[in-house]
Amino acid sequence: MKNSLFCMAAVLAFVPFCGVSHAAIDAEMEGMEAVSRDDGTFLIGSPTYQFDRILGAGGIHSESELWTPQKLRQRLLFNRMSITPSWAPFEPSVWVKTGNELGDMIYQDVITEYGRPENRTPILEGGFRTPSFKGFWATARGFQDDHYAARTASYRKKIVEDEFAFFGANYPMFSSVYAGLGYTNDFVNASVLVGEEYLWEYMESSRWMPVHMKPRIEARADFWNFSLTAAFEDALYQNVLRGENGERKEVNGSLLYRCGDACEKGMLQLSAGIAFRFVDDEGTVYTELDDNHVVWPFMQLRIAPFNWLKADVMFGMNDADWLVQDSVEISLPLAVKNLGVLVGFKNISGTRLNPLADDREFFAMGNVESVIELSPDGQMTLFQGYLSFADTVASFSFGGRASFWAEKGAETFDVDGFVEDREYEFRYGNVSRIDSWIKGVTGEFWLDVWLGDMFKFRALTGFERIDGDDQRFEVTPAEYFVAFTGDWLIRKSFRVSHSLRYRSDARWNLRSSDPMVVKGDWFWDATFEQMFPKYGLSFTGSLIHVLADEVIQVPGADYDRVRIVCYIRKTF
Amino acid sequence: MKPIRTLFAALLLAAVAWAQNAAPDSTQSSELVTSKPAADSAKAPVDTLAYAFHKAYISIEGGEMYPFGDLVDAVENSFYGGIGFRYSYWPDFDGFIHFNYAYVKVRAEGIPFPGVHQFVGRIGLDWHWRLLRPLAIGAGFTCNWTRADSDEEDKYYEGRGGMLLDNETEFGWFARVNMPFTSFKGITAGLNVLWEQLWTLPERSNTLTVGFYLERRIW
Repeated sequence: MKNSLFCMAAVLAFVPFCGVSHAAIDAEMEGMEAVSRDDGTFLIGSPTYQFDRILGAGGIHSESELWTPQKLRQRLLFNRMSITPSWAPFEPSVWVKTGNELGDMIYQDVITEYGRPENRTPILEGGFRTPSFKGFWATARGFQDDHYAARTASYRKKIVEDEFAFFGANYPMFSSVYAGLGYTNDFVNASVLVGEEYLWEYMESSRWMPVHMKPRIEARADFWNFSLTAAFEDALYQNVLRGENGERKEVNGSLLYRCGDACEKGMLQLSAGIAFRFVDDEGTVYTELDDNHVVWPFMQLRIAPFNWLKADVMFGMNDADWLVQDSVEISLPLAVKNLGVLVGFKNISGTRLNPLADDREFFAMGNVESVIELSPDGQMTLFQGYLSFADTVASFSFGGRASFWAEKGAETFDVDGFVEDREYEFRYGNVSRIDSWIKGVTGEFWLDVWLGDMFKFRALTGFERIDGDDQRFEVTPAEYFVAFTGDWLIRKSFRVSHSLRYRSDARWNLRSSDPMVVKGDWFWDATFEQMFPKYGLSFTGSLIHVLADEVIQVPGADYDRVRIVCYIRKTF
Repeated sequence: MKPIRTLFAALLLAAVAWAQNAAPDSTQSSELVTSKPAADSAKAPVDTLAYAFHKAYISIEGGEMYPFGDLVDAVENSFYGGIGFRYSYWPDFDGFIHFNYAYVKVRAEGIPFPGVHQFVGRIGLDWHWRLLRPLAIGAGFTCNWTRADSDEEDKYYEGRGGMLLDNETEFGWFARVNMPFTSFKGITAGLNVLWEQLWTLPERSNTLTVGFYLERRIW
C-alpha cells in the first residue's frame, strides 16, 4: 500500500528506458546503486554526490539534477535530489552493516616508515524496527558511510570544529541517527522520526559544505490516495577557518493526491500535488532561496485511450519557474508472437531542472568574493524520439533501442575564474545555458538468458554519439559501455550476483582549469547472500569495484576504492 | 611464553592421534540424512532450508596468535579469548561464526603506545571430509578491527603507528583445521589451527592461530 504511491509515480516516470542494466548487486547504502552501474556515465564523488546519467536518457544533465514527482521523498542536497541519506523506515527487522575499503595497514602501520598508504575507511550501520503492536511500531537507526572521505579529510577537518560525525575521526560525508514511532493498518501508514545528522554537500563552486542538522524531524503519512511528507531541519553551518557561523531553520515537504485503484483502470489518470520549502536564515548560510520560500504545485496526467497508445504529462509551475515533462508511446501492432516494438517521443522543457533548489551560492575564498547565480535565465527544451523492440524465444530474450535527441538551453556553468587552495581548485561564475542545439544518437542492444529462477544472465551494450559544444558540458558523457551480469539462486537460499562492466572515458570540463578525464575502466562487483527464510535471517557480503583502478571520479572529491560490505538482517 | 607454545604443540600432535579414535560426534551429518543407509543418503533429497540451523553449538576458545613474515618485526605473539557459534548448514558442511579479543603488544621500536586492542570476527564453513573425520577443514572470511592502547589521537597521526590511533578495519581470509579430540558429558574439546591472511597494505599480513576450545550443543 505504502509503496504503491511511488510505484504509480514510477509508472508515470519519464525515463522510458530503464531496468535493463544492473544485476542484483546490493548497494552499500540506499541510493548508491549508481556505484554498480555503468550503462551510462555514473561518477561517484561521495555518498552525498553522484553524477548519474543513463546512456539513452537524452540531454546532458544527470538524473539527480532533474526534479520529478517520484523524488518527492528524496533529500534535496544543495541543488540535486538524493536518496542517500535515506530516512525511509525499514520493514520490521533488526540489522547490522559494516565494511571497509581494502588496504588498511593494521600492524603494517608500525613497520612502514615510507610509502605509507592513505587511510582506508569503513561503513557502519545498525538499526531496528519492531513488529507492529496493535498497529504501533518503533524504529531507530544509526548509519554513516566513511567511503570517499580519506583524501579530502585533512582539508575538510579544518573547516569544522569537531570530528563532524557520530563515530570515528574519518570525517565521513554523512553520519546520521534517528529514532521514531509509526502506526500502520490497512488504511494508513504514518511515522515520525527525530534525529541528528552531519552532512557534506558538494556545491556548484566545488566546495564541500558542512551541514549539521540538529534536530531533523521527518513525518510521513500515506492514507487513502494521499501522501503527506513534512520535515523540519535546524541546519547549522560553519567555517572555522573564516570564523563563520550560520543557521537555517527549514520546513519542507509535499502533499500528493495520486490516482486511485479505480482511476488507474480508466482511460484518464490524474494525480496532483504540491511541494514546498520555507527557510529562515541567520548568520552565514552559504546559499540563498529567493523570498525564503518556494511552493511548487504540479499535476500528472496519463491518457491511455487504447492498449497501444499512452501519453503522459507532468506539469509544474509557480511564480518563478515552470517545468513540463511529457511523453507519448505507441506499441506497434505486429503479427509476430512475443515480438514487441515500441515507438516513443518525449519532451522536457522548463526554466529550471530543479525548481525547488536554492537560487544562489555565496562564494568567498582567498581574495575572491562572488555570488554564484544558480537559476539561469531563459529555458531549456529537450526532445527525444526512440524505437525499441524485444523478442523472446524459449529461455532467450533480446532487444534493442535506438534514439535521437536534441536539446537547446541545456544548463551549464559559465566560469569566471578558479581559486586554488592547497591541492584543490574551486570555481566561481554562474549557472548558465548553452543556447545552441546539442544533438545525440544512441543505440543499445541486450540479450537475456535464464534458467527458471536459478540463473539469469544479461549482456548489454550501448553507444552514444553527441554533437554539440562539448567544451561547455559539465560532463562529456561516456561514449560506450558493455556489461555482463549474472545472478544465481542456488537451492533457493544462496544468491550470487555478479556484474562485470566496461565504461569508456568521461570528462569533467568546467570544474578545473584543465578538464579532468575519468578514464574508462572495467569494474567487477559481486554480492553473496545466504538466506535462512525459516528464521528470517540473511547474511550478505558485497565486493565492490574489485577490478577497477582506484581513481578520483569527481573533481575535488575522493578515491573510489575496492571495498567489502557485510550486512546481517533478521526480519520479524 | 615457551611453555605455552610447547603445550599447544603437544596438544596439536596429540589431537591427531586422538582424532583417529574419537567417536563421530555431533559434527557428523544429522539424522535428516544419516538415519538412512549410506547409499541412500547420497541420493536422498535434503531440504536445505530445513537442514540449515537444525543443530547448533556454542563454544569458548582461547589460544595464541603467531605473526608470520614481516609481521614478526611488528608485533609479539598474543593470547586471545573468544566465543563461537557453529551450526549445521548442509550434510558434511557446518557454518561457524567466531568473535575473539586479543591485546597485541607492539614489538617495533619508537611507537608511542604499548599495544593494540584487536577484535576479530570470522565467518566460514567446515567440511567434514569422511577420510579425515572427525577432523574438519574449513575456510572463510575474517574481519579485523584494531585500535591502539592510547588516548592521544591527534598527536601522532602522520608517523608510524599513527593510523592505529584511530580505529582500523581490514578484511581477509583464512583456512583452518578443526580437531575435536574428546567428548565428555556433552561437551566437546578440541583444537582449531588457523592460518589467516589480511588484505593489508603495503603488504599482506599473515598469522597462525592455535586455539583450544570447549563446545556444547544447544539444540
